[in-house]
Amino acid sequence: MLAIGLIHYLIIAAVLFCAGVFTMVTKRNAIGILIGVELVLNSANVNLIAFDRYHGKGAMDGQIAALFVIVLAAAEAAIAVAICMNFYKNLVTVDVDQGDALRG
Amino acid sequence: MEPFLSKLLAASLIPPFLTFWILVLWGPKIGKPRAGWVGLIGGMGLPLLLSTIVFVTWFFTGPEQRDALTSAAQNSQVLWSQLGDFKVTFGVKLDSLTVAIHFMVCFIAFWIFFFSIGYMAGHSDCVHHQSKYWRFFAYLALFGFSMLGLVISPSLLFLFIFWELVGLCSYLLIGFYFDTDYAPPAAMKAFITNRVGDFGFIIGLGIVFTFLGTLDLEGAAAAFKTQLAAGTGLFAKTVSVPILGWSFSGMTLATLMGIGLFCGAMGKSAQFPLHVWLPDAMAGPTPVSALIHAATMVAAGVYLVARVFRLLTPDAQMFVAVIGCITLTFMALIAIVQTDIKKCLAYSTLSQLGYMIFGMGVGAWTAALFHLVTHAFFKAMLFLGSGQVIEGCHHVQDMRRMGGLKSKMPVTCWTFFIGVLAIAGTGIPGFHIGDLRFGLGGFFSKDEILAVAYDRAFNWGRFESGGEHAAAQNGGWQIANSEREEASESVSLAAFSAQHKTAQPKGAPELAEQDAHAKQEGRTGEANGHGAGTAQEAGGHGAEEGHGGAAAHHASAKDPVAAGMKALPKWMFLFAIITAYITPFYMFRAWWLTFMGKPRDPHVHEHAHESKMMTLPLAVLAVGTLVASYALFRPMLAHAAPVAADAPLVVAVDGEAHDPAASLIALDHSADRNPHSKLVTIVGFSFLVGFAVAWLVYRKGLGIAERLKNTFPLNYLHTLLEHKYYFDELYGFLWVRGCRGVAAVCGFIDTWVIDLVYNLLSSVTERLAAFTGRVLDAQGVDGFVNGISETADDLAEALRRPQTGGIRKYVLWTVGIGTAVIAAFLLAPYGESAWTVVAERLGFGTHGG
Repeated sequence: MLAIGLIHYLIIAAVLFCAGVFTMVTKRNAIGILIGVELVLNSANVNLIAFDRYHGKGAMDGQIAALFVIVLAAAEAAIAVAICMNFYKNLVTVDVDQGDALRG
Repeated sequence: MEPFLSKLLAASLIPPFLTFWILVLWGPKIGKPRAGWVGLIGGMGLPLLLSTIVFVTWFFTGPEQRDALTSAAQNSQVLWSQLGDFKVTFGVKLDSLTVAIHFMVCFIAFWIFFFSIGYMAGHSDCVHHQSKYWRFFAYLALFGFSMLGLVISPSLLFLFIFWELVGLCSYLLIGFYFDTDYAPPAAMKAFITNRVGDFGFIIGLGIVFTFLGTLDLEGAAAAFKTQLAAGTGLFAKTVSVPILGWSFSGMTLATLMGIGLFCGAMGKSAQFPLHVWLPDAMAGPTPVSALIHAATMVAAGVYLVARVFRLLTPDAQMFVAVIGCITLTFMALIAIVQTDIKKCLAYSTLSQLGYMIFGMGVGAWTAALFHLVTHAFFKAMLFLGSGQVIEGCHHVQDMRRMGGLKSKMPVTCWTFFIGVLAIAGTGIPGFHIGDLRFGLGGFFSKDEILAVAYDRAFNWGRFESGGEHAAAQNGGWQIANSEREEASESVSLAAFSAQHKTAQPKGAPELAEQDAHAKQEGRTGEANGHGAGTAQEAGGHGAEEGHGGAAAHHASAKDPVAAGMKALPKWMFLFAIITAYITPFYMFRAWWLTFMGKPRDPHVHEHAHESKMMTLPLAVLAVGTLVASYALFRPMLAHAAPVAADAPLVVAVDGEAHDPAASLIALDHSADRNPHSKLVTIVGFSFLVGFAVAWLVYRKGLGIAERLKNTFPLNYLHTLLEHKYYFDELYGFLWVRGCRGVAAVCGFIDTWVIDLVYNLLSSVTERLAAFTGRVLDAQGVDGFVNGISETADDLAEALRRPQTGGIRKYVLWTVGIGTAVIAAFLLAPYGESAWTVVAERLGFGTHGG
């Protein structure tokens, strides 16, 4: 019976990260990309908590950092959704490929 | 009172100057008839008013007071500028000469302005079919300003400035009809010929400036006197002037200076050989011919000689006399054959100006100026009369087409006749009731000039040193101002005399004799006899007579100078006499052909008319000719004479009985040697002879003249005169063709030498420029700079490409690069075996996982 160790959490986080990145790259819908971003952030959270659990000094630094990330993610989501609203207002779509006005 | 009078004279310059600007700026707005009145009132009316006040005040001022006023005006000059030690002052010259000439100019100019309004009323003001009415009066006003400024200038510098200004006005007005093909060249000819004279004038001014150290007339005269006494400055050296192989050595700088200054007068007064411009100047409107080219500006040359008279040496005086004599004779001859009424008057003017210059040259200072005034009156009137005729006949100027205009133009006819009488010297010779003599202006003025010339030619050397009474008893000349000279000056002047005579070898006594003469402080019979030159015999005689007198009285300072002066060559007197016979002839001819006889061209005669506006000035000037000149101007000019006589080298200033003390050599009227009584027999009735001959020839029209013209040898003479002695052709050949020839040579040198060098230089420069430009700059410098910019451009392009704007691509790139970097970091410690490590970790390695 294989004991659950750090490496497993890291694998879960890596999978989550990859799923998030994949989502961001493949989705053209802005909301989908936001979801991908959330996945990536959550994978970071998993990493933070896992490292704290196995290598922390008992000060719960990782968990607190994860909480910060969650708060920031909320804030970021709020701003991102507002951007999406404006995006839609301007282009009447949420397809990010249409929003390439800043291309070089 | 002094500042009052000189201020009035200075103020007389302001209205014409302002009028000029008003007419220049607002002329077209003021309009045709009104601009003329503005010109009349502002340009000459106000100055005439001021001038009349001055003239009347001066007329009733005593001689001593006048002298005080003159010196006060002289001393109240203002410093204008200072260059080192050289000061330029300006102020007003206030003496009898200035007052008389100023009034004369104002008076005549006023009536000519008045006449101009009438003359320009028709279409005479059209240039290119456009009215240039206001422009004409603007020029006239500018001329008034310049001429009055010239007259009141106390300094040669200001005199020169105004001198050039009147020249400019002359140029502008001759070229008034610039749409014609004859006026512009005439204007240019006048201007350029005057430049030739002014070149000499400037040389004279330069010598005055360098050696006398001042340009003020009084100051220059004083310095001249001092330097003469001391034998320094001007008189320190003699110069050699090589001309065409001859060398005029032994000429003093002072003589050169005098001739230089006279050159200016030669140009302005159109004296031989610079006379060619004046006849052509008739291209201007007739009032201009009357004002500028007969009455005032051309007389400015005579005025200049009068002003610088004290700076003339005997040699320079003789030069002046010769030039005047040539001019007066040869120009009078040309006048005989002229058919253009204005040209005829122009040659007459030349001849009369020659008379004035001749008078100056022989020392008839007062008489020459008096002739200037009388001539100004009658010649202005004659020209205005011709203007009336020309305007009345619709610009026909050929006298052959006129005739019989008397009935159409009675006033013009008779005023013209008065002018003819005046210029011919009509009078009752040898007859007088008390001091009252009868005659017109020209009678007196011409007679006075000829009288002095006669004395210079025939009585010269019979002068008597000492008091007036002794001289009068001996019946000779007298040196009247001996009392006014200091005895000490007399010594030094005698010493100069020796020097002067070494500079003038002909007719001068030996140096040793002269030294002895200087020691004796008086003139000996020998010195006088030698000095008298051609009149040697007479001179010796006179000296013997005067010997006792010389012992009794102290000698005049000027005796040695007088002794050193040559008598006037007799041919010069003869020429003047001949001209006195010619003048009445051609003037009567002009008058008769124009007004008398039968109309030769019915067309011209039919349309002839007289303008009221133009007859009034004629009448006024006729009255002036009849009465004013002798009564008003003669005494005033005689009073001015001491100004000229107060000079060390000037000997023959005509004395006249009017003011003997004022003159150097007084003509005395004793029975046996009175030049006037001699002249009565020689020339007194010349006017009758001239009139009679002219009447005989022309009474039946042109027939007799035509026949005379075609008979030998008159036909050759006529051709010669008609071509004006071929002077225009000669100058055309010498100067115009000469200039063109020199220009052609210069052009050749320019093309084939200078241009060659320049072209060579330019092609070398061009090659060099091509190298630096195309190679160094375009490829080197530009290549570097462009290289930088192109690199930046490429870089920017490279950086621009990834900026696709696609958010998903950014993510992909970020993740890809991030992954790669992390992988590189992780694998870096393993170096080359990294792949092995990876393979091992992934379980592909040989060791298994």
